[in-house]
Amino acid sequence: MQISLHQLVPIPLKEKVLQQTSGIWNQAVTFTPGQWVKIKAPSGTGKTTLIHYLYNTRYDYTGDIHIDQKPWPAYNPTELANIRQSQVSVIFQDLRLFDQLTALENIELKNIMQGQAYYSREKIEDMAAQLQVTHILQQSAATLSYGERQRIAIIRALVQPFSWLMMDEPFSHLDENNTRRAAKLIAEECTARKAGFILTDLDDDTHFPYTAHYQL
Amino acid sequence: MQTFYSLLKKIIRAGIGRARYWMAYIGLGVAMLLIFIAIQVHSNFNQLLHKPENKNESADFLVINKTITNANSRNVEKNAFTQSELDDLQKQPFVESFGYMTPSQFKVQAYPPVDLQFSTAMFFEAVPDTFIDVKNDEWKWAVGDRALPIVLPNSMLNMYNFGFALSQNLPQISQETVSALPIRIVIYNDFGQEEFVGRIVGFSDRISSILVPQSFMNWANKKYAPGLQPTASRIIIKTKDPGDPKLVSYLEDHGFSTDNDKLKDSRLRMIVQIIVSVIGFFGLVLLLFAVLVFSMFIQLIIAACKKEINLLVTLGTKPSQLKRYLMRQFVPMYVLIGVITLVVISGIQYFVYTLLLKQHLFVSPLPGLYTWLAAAAILLLLYIVNSSTIRKYIYKP
Repeated sequence: MQISLHQLVPIPLKEKVLQQTSGIWNQAVTFTPGQWVKIKAPSGTGKTTLIHYLYNTRYDYTGDIHIDQKPWPAYNPTELANIRQSQVSVIFQDLRLFDQLTALENIELKNIMQGQAYYSREKIEDMAAQLQVTHILQQSAATLSYGERQRIAIIRALVQPFSWLMMDEPFSHLDENNTRRAAKLIAEECTARKAGFILTDLDDDTHFPYTAHYQL
Repeated sequence: MQTFYSLLKKIIRAGIGRARYWMAYIGLGVAMLLIFIAIQVHSNFNQLLHKPENKNESADFLVINKTITNANSRNVEKNAFTQSELDDLQKQPFVESFGYMTPSQFKVQAYPPVDLQFSTAMFFEAVPDTFIDVKNDEWKWAVGDRALPIVLPNSMLNMYNFGFALSQNLPQISQETVSALPIRIVIYNDFGQEEFVGRIVGFSDRISSILVPQSFMNWANKKYAPGLQPTASRIIIKTKDPGDPKLVSYLEDHGFSTDNDKLKDSRLRMIVQIIVSVIGFFGLVLLLFAVLVFSMFIQLIIAACKKEINLLVTLGTKPSQLKRYLMRQFVPMYVLIGVITLVVISGIQYFVYTLLLKQHLFVSPLPGLYTWLAAAAILLLLYIVNSSTIRKYIYKP
């Protein structure tokens, strides 16, 4: 699945964006399948906004985003849901877990959304063990710390088929050790699917062997 | 392992506002029951009136004439039926067959068998034989016959026996006595006269007139009033159902009158119809409100869980998945309500059936076809409202 941006400009940041030079905003950019993309962005340059545009949950932009030669608005709600179930996964900066559910249920929700389970319970527990969150799986998501929630959100994003993974500061609340573990898990899962990802963060890092770097 | 829908159940709490939820279902149940009752009462009433088992006689006879008013009392022509009126009447669905009552166009004088120095002026009428309820071998007349069979109305003998005879100290007489008495009948006018021996051969409950055979009437009218066409001022119709409101309103609209007693069924039926309509109307109004509450209820749930539903959609839940989940919250419930009300109406109908059976009246022991159709239609309506409300709020981007 190819993602290409054409003169994409967020309306709320329009003046600011047009004053500065950006690698993404108001440019023609194409992300080819399997690319591991790092987008470095200082605060307030619209990094979360970009992720939301790419995941098609915000539409307040000019220019357009083509997914496989077709702009986002051309997809109907059912097609969009299909893409989100099998082609594009996401880790939001604000995580977005359901407080009514336990940590495990939050993961399961995504795991069985397509009708049958994508990963077995053992595989999920294995992933939880890697990120050291096994002990909180049965806890209500409302009671978890931010770092725990972040790791649950990461696992949730990985229990579905995808060819692109969007990540918005996915390690912001993890210590170095857990960041390393999470990055390893994400890299394994992306490799297994031959999937690409787009990661936005404030600083440079070496968590992944990126194939493309952009400055927002 | 948990299913997707059991997780949805934890996220979208469809049970909010339990009290309202149950009120809506109870309202729906009552509405359906009222509608079913209205339909059932209507169908039972029709069965009581029209089912062959419930009929003593397969048809009824009505003598119809124009209402005599002060304005037209001197105008025989106006009080007779015109040809177009007759044609129109004949075309009506409630008229099964139809005959003229032919009046005599000559004068009749009757004398008692022995000379008692009195006589009485009379008249005759004739109707086709098929309309007479007295079947008798003697009921025939051919040209040259001296004997003239006569049918009297039952009421006439009663009037004599219980009114006249008692007040005049005369003996009361039985039907047999009357039938045994030969009556001297003289028919006459300015052209001549002729004498016959009249014999009462029967008493009619159906037609309150003095009847002679049609063959005699034709012959006598021709002979004594050769140029005159007999006017059709009274006619007799055979009808399946004298209580048919269409018949009654037809007669009223055209200013015709008949034996009102036979039509009293119709008034009763009109009252029943009004009651049925009122019940049905309330049922429909209640149904309307129940449907309204339902769609508002669905909106309420969706509005209360807006955030959760948005996040579910963001995570990739298909609108069809959400819709199916929400439908599952409602459909089984109103199907259940429908089944319960159908069971209740079946019970009521069976009770009515056994109750009426004791009176030798027959209605079907199960609810009729229209009740089942109404149930299906109501459930379909609910499904459509349900589905379109959910669609409206879920598929909206």
